[in-house]
Amino acid sequence: MWPRISTWAAEATAVFAKEWRCELRTRYALNTLGLFAFTTLVVVSVSLGPLGVSLSQGTAVLPVLLWVILLFSVAAGLPRAFVQEEETQTAIALRLAATPSALFCGKLVYGLTLVLALEALITPVYVAVTSLKVVSPGLLAGTLIAGGYGLAAGSTLVAAIIAQARSKGTLFSVLAFPVLLPLLLLAVELSRSAVAGDPAGVALPQLLLYDASVTVVGLMLFPAVWNP
Amino acid sequence: MKNALAWLLWIWLSVVIVGAFKYAPLAKGFIGESSRILFFHVPMSWVSFVAFIAAGVWSLMFLFGGRKPKHDRAAAVAVQLGLVFGVLATVTGSLWARIMWGAYWNWDPRQTSIVVALLFYGAYLALRSSLEDADSRARLSAAYAVLGLAVAPFLFFIMPRIMFSLHPQSVINAQGKIEVESRMVQVLLAGSAGFTALFFWLHNLQCRIESLSERKSALRDRG
Amino acid sequence: MLPEPDTRCHGWALRRLNQRFLRAAPPTLPGGAIPGISGYSPPVSSPHLQFAGVRRRFGRLSVLKGVSGSVEPGAMLLVTGPNGSGKSTLMRCLAGLLAPDGGTIAYQENGTPLEAAERRRRVGVVAPDLAFYAELTVAENLTFFARLRRVSPERGLGVLGRLDLPLDRLAGNLSSGMRQRLRWGFALLHSPRLLLLDEPFQNFDAAGERIARELLEEHLEDGGLAVVANPSSLDFHHVAAHLDLGR
Repeated sequence: MWPRISTWAAEATAVFAKEWRCELRTRYALNTLGLFAFTTLVVVSVSLGPLGVSLSQGTAVLPVLLWVILLFSVAAGLPRAFVQEEETQTAIALRLAATPSALFCGKLVYGLTLVLALEALITPVYVAVTSLKVVSPGLLAGTLIAGGYGLAAGSTLVAAIIAQARSKGTLFSVLAFPVLLPLLLLAVELSRSAVAGDPAGVALPQLLLYDASVTVVGLMLFPAVWNP
Repeated sequence: MKNALAWLLWIWLSVVIVGAFKYAPLAKGFIGESSRILFFHVPMSWVSFVAFIAAGVWSLMFLFGGRKPKHDRAAAVAVQLGLVFGVLATVTGSLWARIMWGAYWNWDPRQTSIVVALLFYGAYLALRSSLEDADSRARLSAAYAVLGLAVAPFLFFIMPRIMFSLHPQSVINAQGKIEVESRMVQVLLAGSAGFTALFFWLHNLQCRIESLSERKSALRDRG
Repeated sequence: MLPEPDTRCHGWALRRLNQRFLRAAPPTLPGGAIPGISGYSPPVSSPHLQFAGVRRRFGRLSVLKGVSGSVEPGAMLLVTGPNGSGKSTLMRCLAGLLAPDGGTIAYQENGTPLEAAERRRRVGVVAPDLAFYAELTVAENLTFFARLRRVSPERGLGVLGRLDLPLDRLAGNLSSGMRQRLRWGFALLHSPRLLLLDEPFQNFDAAGERIARELLEEHLEDGGLAVVANPSSLDFHHVAAHLDLGR
């Protein structure tokens, strides 16, 4: 007959697949994220490299710089997910066809995969170039995943908010940084613990709680943001 | 009735101001008369956080309680006033920090919290000014306010721990932990109550002004 | 266009299976019969659109000042008016893409009234500013939207066949006439009961216009509703009502 073949999850998967298909054909976000991250990386290693950093300085400073690189790369490349829909006017067709929650989750998982890919690329290079000795790589990997999720979730929601405004470029940074600040502080603290070999402490549950909060609030707010 | 309440507020605040200088004793361990600043700084930073929460609550009421324009207006005015009180709190706080700790800015947890609150206020107002259509302006800024409300509390749990690790000689001997005499407590509480009432009175006034000006421009457009 | 109803007697069991595992009510033909189930006819209730006093302003500019109308099944409402008279704004309000400042819009299918969010997903819209993903082919675009609308992608490709669209061409490389055909394909993908067509024959050549008119006529003969906005009142059949927004 005419069966309803897709469930909500299939709808979200369709959004995710569409994002990656478009992305792989234009490579816009990948190029932006990658080039931005590498340029910042070069600046960091050139300024810190020849002078070298002592062990204690390295433990204090280098994790911070890693997260600064990730934050600015995400701000450069992720908002496009929603901003481009509004600019090319494909958002009209999306508003008519998509379920808001499925759309949000599809875009969120797409952003997450972009951030994780970026982290997988940047972190080994960063560690090698700055000769950073990481005592607990497992904790660092976990922090990168949980922190990366928080970056993607917060950025996706803020991108949806600013996509309907003017002057979207600067507005994204202005709106996103206060929201992402707690995440960054937690991620930096955990990264420092990973480098120094300290236990994670109470910061890890707080980071996971932050991720959960942003997800829940995002799902709650997105229909109001997306629909007129 | 409203006039009587307004007069009461002004008398209350005058009493608080006089009491801050005459009635309350100087705090121990403070340089000179500098502890007087606290009687203004603490209430104002308290009010700035009240404004933050109030804006978030009104935004929730707007989004999920029928999209009434009065809730959106209330949230926006709360943010504007919160910005004013927040800036005043930051300035008074940094003046006091200069006297007490030698530097205008130390990234003490409370200083950082107020800065983040100011960042949120600024972002909210920047968002509002970049949206022309009234419906989307109300809707999107309300969403951002709720997001801010959800995310900001994390700072209160993270800050003290992080600041301790960054500044081992802790400067956390913040206002609340000092030995306070009962007179100081009285003036502080009275000041907080007075400034909170001032906030809500100003808020009410500004909401009414904006509502009237909207009605005026609507009437003018109708020709 | 529609398959013959299957008259073998699966009836009750098939309907329960449908509801339980596919989580959707089986679609009904106009008249209320359910394909594949004989002997079952629910009460006849048909789609109906009614709007009254719709107002919308943008800043200082009042575009719609209290517009009313209604559309019965099988009928078409033609909205005309010069540029800037609010035709597109009205269409967007009816589609649920824009919230009106005042007035009511009531649309119901099968007796249940639909709010703006549901209405948005149920209607078929053709509009000049409707755009598709330039990096995807025509087929990929329609498959994507079919998946979003939770209908079988094969249906979408079937509609494409009638519209004579090149399946493998990137949507960014389409001519304006082909793009208009793609908009029609998008609108008809999910067999909507209500079509909202804003300048539906824009950029069409003679062949395209003929196909589109056929599709519109078939839709109306099936008992569907249509609201068509056009700068001029072209030659339309089935025009039940004419709403002129001219000043």
